[in-house]
Amino acid sequence: MSESSDQSSANNLSEELIAEDALKARSLWQDAVSRLLANRLSIIGLVITTLLLVAALFGPYIAPYSYTEQDLMNVAKMPSADHWLGTDEIGRDLFSRVIWGARTATLVAIFTTVISVIIGVILGAVAGYGGALADSITGRVIDIVMSVPGLLLAALIAVSIKQPIVSWAKEIYESNGFPLFADTTWLDLLVVFGGLAFVSWPGYARLIRGQIFSLREEQYIEAAKSVGVSEVKIALRHLLPNAIGPVIVTLTFSFSSAMVLESSLSYLGIGVLPPQASWGNMIASNIGSWSYRPWLVAVPSLTLAIVTLGINFLGDGLNDALNPRSKRSI
Amino acid sequence: MYKYTLKRLAIAIPTFFAVLIITFTLTVLSPFDPVAMMMAQFEGTLDTLARDDVIEKIREQYGLNDSYGVQFTRWIGRLMQGDLGISINGQRNVLRMIVKTFPISFQLGLAGAVVTTLLGIPLGCLAALKQNTWIDYTIVGGTLGFRTVPVFVLAPLLLMLFVLVLDIMNVPRGWDGLFQTKVILPVCILALGPLPVVVRQTRAAVLEVFTMDYVRTAKMKGLEMWRIIIRHILRNALIPVVTTLGFVAEGLIVGSIFLDSIFAIPGFGGVAESAFRGFDYPVIMGVTMVSAVMIILTNLLVDLIYPFLDPRIKFE
Repeated sequence: MSESSDQSSANNLSEELIAEDALKARSLWQDAVSRLLANRLSIIGLVITTLLLVAALFGPYIAPYSYTEQDLMNVAKMPSADHWLGTDEIGRDLFSRVIWGARTATLVAIFTTVISVIIGVILGAVAGYGGALADSITGRVIDIVMSVPGLLLAALIAVSIKQPIVSWAKEIYESNGFPLFADTTWLDLLVVFGGLAFVSWPGYARLIRGQIFSLREEQYIEAAKSVGVSEVKIALRHLLPNAIGPVIVTLTFSFSSAMVLESSLSYLGIGVLPPQASWGNMIASNIGSWSYRPWLVAVPSLTLAIVTLGINFLGDGLNDALNPRSKRSI
Repeated sequence: MYKYTLKRLAIAIPTFFAVLIITFTLTVLSPFDPVAMMMAQFEGTLDTLARDDVIEKIREQYGLNDSYGVQFTRWIGRLMQGDLGISINGQRNVLRMIVKTFPISFQLGLAGAVVTTLLGIPLGCLAALKQNTWIDYTIVGGTLGFRTVPVFVLAPLLLMLFVLVLDIMNVPRGWDGLFQTKVILPVCILALGPLPVVVRQTRAAVLEVFTMDYVRTAKMKGLEMWRIIIRHILRNALIPVVTTLGFVAEGLIVGSIFLDSIFAIPGFGGVAESAFRGFDYPVIMGVTMVSAVMIILTNLLVDLIYPFLDPRIKFE
């Protein structure tokens, strides 16, 4: 690079700094919020995500019917005043089932994300701090997990461990009558959480490792080290706040992909089983009749598409908002 | 060159071996008991008093009482001979099921990868050149939608749009070779899944190359824009795009699992789907291993062609 261009970029930088000074002083988070709200797509995403969370939290109060209640006089009916989105092939209210499906999807997505973040952060930190050997071992493990398509591996885990776990729970129930094990539907969910978490942690581990490696080289970290700040304090005070942005962005994207994976497993009849409502199993049980009862497939499909789209828009908006170097201005 | 190839292979082979161990361990944990299945077939014909002895004898005969290590070694030995076992539903040779269906899915997947590339690179390029305009937002936002929307959502919705609403086509069903009009919709649906990744990678790479000195020099020399894009930008920007191939392969495999039954295509994905629905463990194992091989091979291929594209990367 020539000297003059160095000069001009330095000038640009100082001009930018002056321009930022002219703005009101804001913290990183205030800045992020205003950037987020300035982006139309991320507002749409925020609205959709909020609606989803409301539906998931207050589902039983919003849904006019239960997810199993059958109206046998109105089987496979088009949308009407009684049934806003129509009824399915055995007379259950579609609107209610979509709401209950939101509950399932959100529950699975939250648990899967939390579990995989915990595993990913721990293993990422081990890879980043534990020296070359720990790094290469974790790297190998990540390669192995990532070399099988996530859906296939999750499905394989789910079909393999489900039966042993269910029969084990039954044994416990028979031997001591522990009421928790009387109903095994929650075990379905547990197996799904486990399978999905197992395939989603490598993303976080890679991210955290990368962040640790790139931030470690920064001068402020070196400065902190040279004045004798402890490793733990550096990690908490300097590394974590700087790494949190990318982690939040990944969190949003993996939230939507966990949702899609749950639907996919349920579509294949492995995840959440009927009569429990999941968008995946709702699509699966009606896919054969899409041409003559299109609303039965269209409603859960569109819901899943809109929700994942909304969460992705939010993630994209967060990506710009939380990255102070992002070119997209306020 | 040879050293580099060997080094890459030295990584790929243990990875595949680890996949084998995981697959085998999971099926050992699984409820699949071949003897119970056999007994179910002979139900009523066997003396019930001697039943337990018979089961024990069969288990002994097939080596099911051996230790995990012995069973694993024997299983690997069979794999080496191309024996993937017999399916539970229908008692069919798993290898033959896969060999018969795989070429169809491979052709579809290849076509999908071509469509993804032909759409993704120009779109990513355009988005980068028009950075922060409505064109950029539309391309990035529009393809983002397909990032996670699964095939089993996209396929019925597009079918409804084209068949029920617009009424411009019949339901495409079955497989008569790749060069048929009914292949267009399935291939496009397959291609849409990995598209956003290619678009984003191209966009980011073009943006990075755009600020390079040689591009500025080319501009200052007064070259036409399209010449700069083709000669200087794309050539360098496409290198990182190659790394998305592994992801594209995974997207195509997962996509075909859902696609095949919707469009009645007798492909590899359909075998996988019915195996999962029927808890057909030997088939599930076979399908998982073949998918893992495909992804490991794709990543190996990327590793091997990368040094040719980017001379800065040494073969060491």
